[in-house]
Amino acid sequence: MIKAHPSDAMLYQYAAGDLSPALSLVMATHIDMCKHCQQKVSELEERLCEKHLVNESPALANHDCQRMLDAIFASEAPEQIICDQGPAMITLEGKRFHLPATLANNADRIGDWSHMVGKLWRAPLSIGSDDSINLIYMEQGAQVPEHTHRGVEATLVLNGTFNDEFDSYHDGDFILLDASRKHSPQTQMEDCLTLAALDAPLHFTSGISRLLNPFSSLFFR
Amino acid sequence: MQSVSNHASQRKVMKGAQSDSAERAAQLLANIAETKSREAFSELFSHFAPKLQAYGTRQFGNEQTAMDLVQETMTNVWHKAHLFKPDRGSPSTWIFTIARNIRFDLLRKNKHRKDEISADELWPILAETNDDPDDYSLDSSILMQEISAYYARLPDAQREVVEKIYIEGKSQQEVSDSLGIPLGTVKSRTRLALKKLKELIIEND
Ligand SMILES: [Zn+2]
Repeated sequence: MIKAHPSDAMLYQYAAGDLSPALSLVMATHIDMCKHCQQKVSELEERLCEKHLVNESPALANHDCQRMLDAIFASEAPEQIICDQGPAMITLEGKRFHLPATLANNADRIGDWSHMVGKLWRAPLSIGSDDSINLIYMEQGAQVPEHTHRGVEATLVLNGTFNDEFDSYHDGDFILLDASRKHSPQTQMEDCLTLAALDAPLHFTSGISRLLNPFSSLFFR
Repeated sequence: MQSVSNHASQRKVMKGAQSDSAERAAQLLANIAETKSREAFSELFSHFAPKLQAYGTRQFGNEQTAMDLVQETMTNVWHKAHLFKPDRGSPSTWIFTIARNIRFDLLRKNKHRKDEISADELWPILAETNDDPDDYSLDSSILMQEISAYYARLPDAQREVVEKIYIEGKSQQEVSDSLGIPLGTVKSRTRLALKKLKELIIEND
């Protein structure tokens, strides 16, 4: 059972569309895996709608209305979006991993795997945005040296288990660490596949996370 | 459709008016989906466009971009009304999420790259689904066993509908005919029932 969820504030920002693309992708993937947060997000969307759309607003000028209606009736139907809901798998080191829906729909964005150090592997996702997001694979018995983050790091366990000095995390667990938290993730008997995004503190306009920490730059080029 | 007051003493009235207006909007969306009714769309437009414009103006601080948001949102509503699923939420929430997605993309437009991930890929609310639009598709996160474990705890009106659809396998139209209640009511009862079921499942998880 999932025990580590994003905070309510973060769910709210996600539902409002205020998080960066990378963090939004991690959140969306957690929500694929987590009924509890699915429910919360639909409630938040209702609340956001009440906040933003229910209040009385002055009518549009008649000529604006007519012009827009004409343009809409004359418009071509937007391109159809097809969501392939089929089970998507990735294979790594001879193991197959199932991808949750959002990742499966974006599977074409997953780049090549490269070996980092020790028992760590990484595949970047190219999302055309300045912030970075990677699949990180830790073999069993892998150890990541202690490090801090310049921005905020969001990690989602897709499959397996890892520990740090605070807790141990399993499938679906979502962990957010800010610059003040040092941690040193490690795996023991089990391997672990995670999705990790790095962002400057919850600001989606802030763009590139500049990483001065030498270890982090290994993760997030 | 009528705008509603926020005044506290009118809370009760407001609730009623809101669900009336939600039912009306759902009906209009169904008309648009089935017959491409311009009249239905114009009514929906005059209700939502000013609200969307106010939202856009607050978000962008720019009238032109706000108008783009209104136009793009309502263009999607016009072409994609068939993707509105009454059992998943209210019409206004659906329209809000379309606008939220468009805002997300508009905010990045100036530094646009061609491979950039778009809101539709993060929140695929406008993706075509394979299910028959008339057929109620079961939310995949709820399992049949879970439904049968908890449906007895639903209010009578909702339990009756859930029983017929999920236990007896009737279509929503058949339920509407056999109970003599409008299809829209069947859909909204199903939606409320599933919402309640989800809460029960989470509580007992
Ligand atoms: Zn969660």
